[in-house]
Amino acid sequence: MKEKTFSRTHLLILGLLSILLIVVLPVANAHGYISNFQLNTWGKYLCYAMLAISVDLLWGYTGLLSLGQAMFFTLGGYMFGMHLMLMIGRLGSYQSDLPDFMVFSGLTTLPSFWQPFYSFSFSMLMVVLLPALVALAFGFLAFRARIKGVYFSILTQALTYSAALLFFRNELMMGGDNGFTGFRRLFGAEIRSPEVQRWLFVATGIALVATYVFCRWLTRSKFGLIQQAVRDIEARVLFSGYSAAAFKLFVFVLSAVIASIGGALYVAQVGSINPNAMTPDKSLEAVVWCAVGGRGTLVGPIIGAVSVNAAKSWATQAYPDLWLIMLGAIFVLVVLFMPRGLVGLPAQFAWAGRRINAFIQERRGRRPNSDDDGNDGGDDDSGGPGTSRQPPDPPTEASAMSDPVPADPPGDPANPHARGQTEPPLTPAAQPQPRRTSADPDPSTP
Amino acid sequence: MPSRFLIRTLLALTLACFTKQAGGQQGGHVIVGEPEPTELPQPGGMIQPPANAREVVIEALMSTDPAEQAALVRSLLGSGDPDAVGLLTAWREGYIYYHDDFEGDRFPVRFDGEADGVGRRNVVRLDNGEPVPGVGGQPMRATENQLELAFTDSRLRQAMRSVTDMAALVADNHNRRLAAVRGIALEQNPDKIEALELRLPLEPSRQIQREIEVAIAMSQLRLPEREIKLAACRELERLTPIPARDTLRSLAREAETDGDDELAAAATDALAAIERHITRVNAAGTVFRGLSSGSILLIAAIGLAITFGLMGVINMAHGELIAVGAYTAYIVQCVFQSGLRLSPFGYSVAIPGFNASEGWFQAYFLFAIPLSFLVAALVGLAIERTIIRHLYRRPLESLLATWGLSLVLQQLFRLVFGASNVQVESPVWLSGNWTVYGVMFGWNRVFVIGFALLIILVTYLFLNRTRFGLLVRAVVQNRQMAACMGVRTERVNMITFAFGSGLAGLAGAFLSQIGNVGPSLGQSYLIDSFMTVVVGGVGKLIGTVISAFSIGMADQSLQQILLNPVLGKILVLLAIILFLQFRPKGLFTTQNRSLEE
Amino acid sequence: MSRQPFILTAEGLNKSFAGFQAIRDLSFYLDIGELRTVIGPNGAGKSTFLDLITGRTRPDSGALMFEEKDDLLKLNEYQIQRLGIGRKFQTPTVYTRHTVYENLLLSLAGSRGLWSSLFHRTKPAEDERIDEILQVIKLSDRAYDRAGSLAHGQKQWLEIGMLLAQDAKLMLVDEPAAGMTDEETHRTGELLMSLAGPRTIVVIEHDMTFVRQISAGRKVTVLHQGGILCEGSIDRVQNDERVIEVYLGRKSRARAKPKAKPQANSHAA
Repeated sequence: MKEKTFSRTHLLILGLLSILLIVVLPVANAHGYISNFQLNTWGKYLCYAMLAISVDLLWGYTGLLSLGQAMFFTLGGYMFGMHLMLMIGRLGSYQSDLPDFMVFSGLTTLPSFWQPFYSFSFSMLMVVLLPALVALAFGFLAFRARIKGVYFSILTQALTYSAALLFFRNELMMGGDNGFTGFRRLFGAEIRSPEVQRWLFVATGIALVATYVFCRWLTRSKFGLIQQAVRDIEARVLFSGYSAAAFKLFVFVLSAVIASIGGALYVAQVGSINPNAMTPDKSLEAVVWCAVGGRGTLVGPIIGAVSVNAAKSWATQAYPDLWLIMLGAIFVLVVLFMPRGLVGLPAQFAWAGRRINAFIQERRGRRPNSDDDGNDGGDDDSGGPGTSRQPPDPPTEASAMSDPVPADPPGDPANPHARGQTEPPLTPAAQPQPRRTSADPDPSTP
Repeated sequence: MPSRFLIRTLLALTLACFTKQAGGQQGGHVIVGEPEPTELPQPGGMIQPPANAREVVIEALMSTDPAEQAALVRSLLGSGDPDAVGLLTAWREGYIYYHDDFEGDRFPVRFDGEADGVGRRNVVRLDNGEPVPGVGGQPMRATENQLELAFTDSRLRQAMRSVTDMAALVADNHNRRLAAVRGIALEQNPDKIEALELRLPLEPSRQIQREIEVAIAMSQLRLPEREIKLAACRELERLTPIPARDTLRSLAREAETDGDDELAAAATDALAAIERHITRVNAAGTVFRGLSSGSILLIAAIGLAITFGLMGVINMAHGELIAVGAYTAYIVQCVFQSGLRLSPFGYSVAIPGFNASEGWFQAYFLFAIPLSFLVAALVGLAIERTIIRHLYRRPLESLLATWGLSLVLQQLFRLVFGASNVQVESPVWLSGNWTVYGVMFGWNRVFVIGFALLIILVTYLFLNRTRFGLLVRAVVQNRQMAACMGVRTERVNMITFAFGSGLAGLAGAFLSQIGNVGPSLGQSYLIDSFMTVVVGGVGKLIGTVISAFSIGMADQSLQQILLNPVLGKILVLLAIILFLQFRPKGLFTTQNRSLEE
Repeated sequence: MSRQPFILTAEGLNKSFAGFQAIRDLSFYLDIGELRTVIGPNGAGKSTFLDLITGRTRPDSGALMFEEKDDLLKLNEYQIQRLGIGRKFQTPTVYTRHTVYENLLLSLAGSRGLWSSLFHRTKPAEDERIDEILQVIKLSDRAYDRAGSLAHGQKQWLEIGMLLAQDAKLMLVDEPAAGMTDEETHRTGELLMSLAGPRTIVVIEHDMTFVRQISAGRKVTVLHQGGILCEGSIDRVQNDERVIEVYLGRKSRARAKPKAKPQANSHAA
């Protein structure tokens, strides 16, 4: 039957986790049970989780694999970073009002576009506004031209790449190669102090929970239904009268903002930002988190971001040379064998178990129906589209959600994988005997 | 145009041989020390080189009359004798001394060998190169202060410079002569006009003749006579040498202040002609660079045009396949030299080299080309069998899986070959350049253009003239139908992907000649390659060709206009995004119903 | 003398795909309230014609007007849908990963805007309408099953239901009977006939029993090689020399291979 956006158990678990994040961990840190370093590391992971959610909202729910999310993340970081750079004041090594890198490149007055960033609220406004505008402009052009599938990925990749090239230039007055670093103060307090870092962690926790709740609401609304319909069969959405481009644009802008907020919080906690964080590879890394955790769900990206990064922290210490090989290999394996990620594993095991069971029974009993192709749609009775409640699709069916050019026969925008024939027994009321052919069209024999 | 180039090249080659022979003859005389005066091969030479340049220099050294010294030195003018040049240079720079021996003979000497503890060195006679006997028959040793330095005055030095300049003018080596003439042109010394005018009719190379004319005209601008200046301006207007701009500008200003309108106008006209010439040269240079960077794009993207364009596989490891090709070229090079020692994962692997002779080493690249193709094709085959095979209908997933693979490969390169770039030397026949009317054509760039065309031809023939190509096109158009007709689509996919990968390897071999070879080599070409294929439109090779050259041209023109490569690149990317507004499926699309979604 | 405007006017339409002329100088006029059946052999351009009307493909030349005031060639798919033109595809095209209920909800007449979808709350009237349609298409008991799990015929019904939910002025129905039982086919015919009048309907069909059922006393259009071969009552059309010729050529082959429409079969199989 129809589900509510938040069931009672769901709310309970969500509430407990939120309290753990926002209250318990910071308090434990204040009392010394959790080291500052650990809290800081977790704060970083939570920022990554927001980036991963932004990837998933596009990829898992709308079928748009954006490789530009790292750019939005970094843009947010830069916008907040500008404020933090100005807050250094005369504490920099040149003891000038200007940020060190400007003094170094011979500037004597602050460039005019830096001026407003003295204001914290302006900087926050820009964290939201700049990525939103970039996403709006790019998305408008891309979706208007109906660029989708891998073309969209390639173009967003190029966008990120050119943005990185731009930010590497010193002339942009954004710090060039080195970007921003050496932050000192936030609201007049020492930014590296445990107290400030603790509050930043709380802010990140709140931001993440709010993002989760908002996205959950969004994906369960009628908007979410349309969004997922765009992912599955965009053409049908158009013929249902919805402007698919508008919906995609909205989601694109929204996830740019989510990524950007994550980036802003990240910069304050990590203490530096540079254009290297903007390269397409970073976007792809975020896609890995999402894929490992389980796309098309909202917990998946969070789990993925935290687990992959925890593994990264461990592996870069233990096996610095092999980390990239591991990451690459994990990714290949996940794509090939775990299309639903960690979140989908239990269901995947269950599915595999049923298959094995069926296989054993079949061998034992030689059921007449033994050539049933094991279509998973038959035992599918869940109503929630695109959520973790869905049963796993066997790997071949995962293509349905990402194949931008279904190889249909002409005149058919339908999902090529939609299977109509191998179905479970129908209820007696609706058990037609499908005719295998259309009637003879010959009008000469009335 | 090409035929004119060809004729010119042939001409230049013949002339070069001619001068080379002549030079050899001359050199032979010097070594053997024949007494007869040698003549330049060209009739009508006005300067007769002396019997033996060394004797003349020594005669000049022994003369006590500065005027005679200068005259003697000047008599060497036009001699290409490197010996004389060496001696005169040594004299001018103060390395020649006099020694009076016990018999009262005075002769010029120079020092030789290492200095000992008190700064004494061996003393050698300048005329016969034998050590000067000292006390007790031992070779004489002395410090610089113990001998009398051979002095030069300014007139003498002037003469010496003329001789050395002229010596350079008649050097055997074409490039040295060219450099000398250009140097003289920049000096704008009217004293050298004479030497230049003497050389002009003898100069075999058309190019250098022209440069000599330039040098003469530029030097004439410094003469006081108005008529000569005027004529020089006209001459420069015809020759349009870029270095003459500054002088012409100041001349125009001076003439204007002097009220000499005619001269001012002549100078301005010459300037205008030079500016026009610069514009043309820049345009030609941009076109050439555009062509060559388009070719590089094309070479890098052609493999992708096959795997992505035809098969629809997004291979993010394409860049790494390029790197595989480049590293293969590197290994081949090392094998031709002294071998290679690698230490991946703590193991030590030594690949022996056979220390090829210089000639053989020059040919290493010819071996590297097919090997690069083969190795990359094999790697591609392995990728196809293990990963891509499972993802044919899931382009986004193949993008992600191959990106994971590219990370693995990059790190493997780092572990095997080190994180820094490796050195791949270009064979001699790929280095050097060729200047036509001020436009410089690097050989490797010219070669890249030729190679790009060759690759296109090969790919075209493979796809359109072979049976296998027919199968590939059939599978591309309709996989199911091809399978129904009995085509082994799996095998076709496999071989097509390997072919595309091999082309990436070829690209790597070539890119190793014009850029750095390092673990992230492929990354720098990946995005450009993808953009090229996207703009070209999938499914048609001609689209990729046109798009590569258009992007290359646009890139180079923007660089020329903006004088800023990064900004140019960003603008090109933006232009591509805008272009896709109007043609979302690229330049060329295979228009049929089944492709329309 | 005032006449009622045509609901659909097509004049001189041409469309070719890589050299293949799918639509050739096609002119077509449809009165308000008509139930028009379009028949024709394979490749006659029937589905392509619907593609042109719904904005899925653009013609190379020609004019297409809706209610003689809206130029369909200037509009894109969703704008055309919003004018009140609904379409059922040849192979059932539903949101396979959404439930039957959600499929209908997404198709229900009403605002198609982004903001309204964000703050949409299902009104009782909407639920009632969906229940009504569910009963018509006999899928009430599967309302919360994923549409992908329906049988082919049920998907056909669902798509017809989506068309009903949309409340379109002009319904373009491409092969509604494929994959249905005889009884269901008959019921589809009844449904379509009951809808005609307030709505205008174009049906593309091969099933001649079905065509006879719904075209009694109505006009039938025969398409051949992208153009109109003949138009008129079903009896006139069936006795038309050219029509017989066009079909006879096919018939001799069709006898050898009983499947007259391999394309539809390959999907149904």
